[in-house]
Amino acid sequence: MSGVYAGPVQDLIDELGRLPGVGPKSAQRIAFHLLKVEPADAARLAAAIIEVKERVAFCERCFNIAERGAECSICTDSRRETSMVCVVEEPRDIVAVERTQEFRGRYHVLQGAISPIDGIGPEQLKVRELLVRIEAEGIDEVILATNPNIEGEATATYLARLLSPLGISVTKIASGLPVGGDLEYADELTLGRALEGRRAVGE
Amino acid sequence: MHLRRLWLTDYRGYENLDVTLPDGLTAVLGDNGEGKTNLVEALGWLSTLTSFRGAPNEALIRLGAESAVVRAEIDVDGRDVLLEAELPRQGRLRVQVNRQKLQRTRELLGVLRVSVFSPDDLDLIKGGPGERRRFLDETIVARHRKYDQVRTDVDKILKQRNALLKGSGGRMSDDVRYTLDVWDAKLSAAGEELVRVRLETLDLLVPELTTAYDQLARRPAEVTATYVAPWRDVGLAEALAASRKDDLRRGVTTVGPHRDDLALAIGGLPSRTHASQGEQRSLALSLRLGAHRLLAAESGVAPLLVLDDVFSELDVERSDALLAHLPPGQALLTSAIGLPPRADPDLVLRIHEHHLRADTAAAELDLRDAETMSDPDQVLPQPVDNPVDGERTAP
Ligand SMILES: [Zn+2]
Repeated sequence: MSGVYAGPVQDLIDELGRLPGVGPKSAQRIAFHLLKVEPADAARLAAAIIEVKERVAFCERCFNIAERGAECSICTDSRRETSMVCVVEEPRDIVAVERTQEFRGRYHVLQGAISPIDGIGPEQLKVRELLVRIEAEGIDEVILATNPNIEGEATATYLARLLSPLGISVTKIASGLPVGGDLEYADELTLGRALEGRRAVGE
Repeated sequence: MHLRRLWLTDYRGYENLDVTLPDGLTAVLGDNGEGKTNLVEALGWLSTLTSFRGAPNEALIRLGAESAVVRAEIDVDGRDVLLEAELPRQGRLRVQVNRQKLQRTRELLGVLRVSVFSPDDLDLIKGGPGERRRFLDETIVARHRKYDQVRTDVDKILKQRNALLKGSGGRMSDDVRYTLDVWDAKLSAAGEELVRVRLETLDLLVPELTTAYDQLARRPAEVTATYVAPWRDVGLAEALAASRKDDLRRGVTTVGPHRDDLALAIGGLPSRTHASQGEQRSLALSLRLGAHRLLAAESGVAPLLVLDDVFSELDVERSDALLAHLPPGQALLTSAIGLPPRADPDLVLRIHEHHLRADTAAAELDLRDAETMSDPDQVLPQPVDNPVDGERTAP
């Protein structure tokens, strides 16, 4: 696929092809679309990418999306309970849990799930940071809200085992979520019910 | 369940096929390479969304076409159901039932129920344990599609565990140990469940297998099918713990449901090594017929029974026995060598270069006589241009 087009066009196709969910065919289609659009439109897209990279980063506390060098809007919200933390895989999962309006604590974003196939072990996730927070912030309840698929379940089991000696409450959002699904797509009612029905994780 | 009508568009060699099938027995006759097995494969594919020949999905799309469409109208307890599956060369498989797009393609499993026997099934006897595990697991999923989840869970967990073992470079660091604990717990839970369902299914299957074999075989003999899983004495969790060092060294999971076997014996002797070719063929066919009987008995609805090229495998005596004991329900068989004298199909179709033509002549035919005995005016309805959007076929 590579090297068919000259210089800048091929560079653009290659870069687009690196994006999640964009295959070589789509990358080509988007690239040729961009070649045709008004320079101002293309510049706006480029500027938005640059701005998001300059200004937005991950929250220094919970790794949610936040302004660069600052904490996210949830961590800075004084009405949130600080003793309770909901652990999710990605920032987008926070949006799903927030929609339920059932949870009033803070979050911790792992930035992934354990998946040896993808070379992701606990080391590659924000696990150590979670342990530090539990100690430093006096967290006494952790709710595991990883995705209900194999990798998410394994991550939850790993964390439950890791956290259980600490003498804090560790619960997992109960089933009711579609198995094999993504938290992102769970509807509010299901997720809300799951949050209410969370239970302690055993082995 | 009755498959009334089947449409294929750009499926393998089929540019456009539109065929109506009777409730009873249909015979599809033609030389090899004319499209008989492709037709059988398409039926199986619409049922399981995998090719029984193990072909990747891309291979099913006709050369030069953008997508393949398999479409079937079936009658389920007097209810019309229209199944449509579109397999594009680029992008995702799309599946519809009664024009409703399914959220998950898995929901299609088991809507159309098909039992396929093919000559390759001799591998069930002569091949390795993987062939027999696959047969068992296919039967399990055909019993209930919810079991597809258990099977895929075990596969995924194994892949993750093996990736971890391989990535560890043979060293047991704390990180490896803790994550291995997690995968072991997941694997033993999912693996024990899979094997519980395999055993339950086998218990139900063995009497049906025995009946099927007795009907086919020249001499009655006791047929046994025993599940072999060395780890079951201690349980999978303990067996995984015991093999952990070895697994780490070799970079793979050496114990579990993915290593189990189904030991088949005729009259107490292992059929892989001690049975005659004829006995092996009878047993392979009996496994398929047994599973078919089990599925029919359990659900009260017989799947469509498809026998691909079955007579080339069996002698006249066994062929006649098979025809005499065809289970009730709809069946389709293919043959390159005509039909045995006992055959009495409700419809005979001639196949030539992926075109089907109804044959009104008597059932007892030899292929050499095919040209003179068939009626060229008796043709099937013209294929519609685009079956999926075709007006005339909307329910
Ligand atoms: Zn934050």
